[in-house]
Amino acid sequence: MSDSLCPPKLIKIVACVMHRLFEFLRRIYVVLVFLLLEGIALWQYATSSPYTEAKVFARTTAIGGAISGVVTDVEHFFSLPEENERLTERISVLEQERQRDYELLSRAELDSLATTCYGEEDVTFRFRAARVSSSTSNRQRNYIVLDRGARDGMKVDMGVMTPERHMVGYITSCSEHYSVVVPITNTKFNTGGRLIDDVNNNFFCSISWDGDSRYHAQASDISVNVDIRNGMTIEVSSERMPRGVVVGTIESYGTNNAQTAYSAQVKLAADMTAIDNVIVVENVHYAEIGTLLNEEEEEDE
Amino acid sequence: MSYIWMSLAVLFVQIFLLDNINIGASVALWMRPMIFPLIVLLLPMHWKMIWVVLAAYGVGYIMDISLGGEGLYVATLLPLALIRPTLIYLIGRHSVDISDEKHILSRLGTWQMMLYIASALLIHHTLFFFLEALSFSHFGQVVLTIIFSMLLSTTIGWFVVRLFISKVLVR
Repeated sequence: MSDSLCPPKLIKIVACVMHRLFEFLRRIYVVLVFLLLEGIALWQYATSSPYTEAKVFARTTAIGGAISGVVTDVEHFFSLPEENERLTERISVLEQERQRDYELLSRAELDSLATTCYGEEDVTFRFRAARVSSSTSNRQRNYIVLDRGARDGMKVDMGVMTPERHMVGYITSCSEHYSVVVPITNTKFNTGGRLIDDVNNNFFCSISWDGDSRYHAQASDISVNVDIRNGMTIEVSSERMPRGVVVGTIESYGTNNAQTAYSAQVKLAADMTAIDNVIVVENVHYAEIGTLLNEEEEEDE
Repeated sequence: MSYIWMSLAVLFVQIFLLDNINIGASVALWMRPMIFPLIVLLLPMHWKMIWVVLAAYGVGYIMDISLGGEGLYVATLLPLALIRPTLIYLIGRHSVDISDEKHILSRLGTWQMMLYIASALLIHHTLFFFLEALSFSHFGQVVLTIIFSMLLSTTIGWFVVRLFISKVLVR
């Protein structure tokens, strides 16, 4: 045993602690007696009749429930990331089913016989959940890194959207475990867009980013025939994304110098500074479309 | 000795008189005078706190036994024992020498003594009636009962104090 803890010293320390404890109790013993007697009286009163018992039980249950509610809220808050991930996975499965049903319906409208052998493998778009590993939002060329890579089925040119079907960007490169996304808030970003007016006419435009605001993109080459107004929704028009993926809403617009087309400031639907869980969209026929376009371009040359 | 007579008189009046007065059910609903806290309020200030607490417990216990309070009277009387010095300090600090605990009660002026009794009874009645109701559903009725009962208790208690004060309090 070390010299500092030899028995006589230990006894002295214990005696000192006990003495201080007694001194403390001597100072507050009146309060302790009061609390004891008060507690006995209140307990006696609380158990004196069915009415008081019921009232006390109801009150303690309400207090216990409130405390339990707070504890549950705190636990729920700390389990939100896992819950978000589960929900995003579920959304990707539902998107898949929705896309299959949509394509089935579209085919049925054209040819009723074509629906007989339409399975999961015939669906054009596949949806997978992913999570943002890191991102930048204060540069001219921002990037998003996802925690899914080639081994999870990620490929270049896959579309990325939020679970609410808001456009995020496209995968630009993949490694074994990670993917890099070019978001809308990157000056290299460019995609087609579509305005839908009140009578369901589609008007195409180009979407890009001028690097000015993280919350706004620019739509250009909008036909002057559009009955354009603020608040109109612009969707993505690209073979990489299914229909119905929203880019944003028009906040302001104007014509170009030659008065041949509109340009618009688009308020982005997705908050590019607060993206966590995303859905990656694969068009299984994208390579085929790319080959066709290349052949056409070669013929044109 | 005088203090003991005063205590017995107060207990007698409370148990056999005030609680058995039948002045109409509707009036009895609003007015329930309780003067037994005076026994604790008029205890000598130089007594040790532990004896004051135990005395309050004893008085409350007697009331519970006599009137079937099942702990209610004890539970509402004990806090008075603790807050009594604070009340005296707040009421009498500008006019009476607080450090002279033995004579402080006897040196309080008429209005100060009345304020001391009224405020202590208000606190006691508030605790008592809300604990008896155990609910805020008849909040207005409880508040009115507290106010009317406190006023009546203070009035009766004042007469008791005037009757016994020269004999009870140390000069």
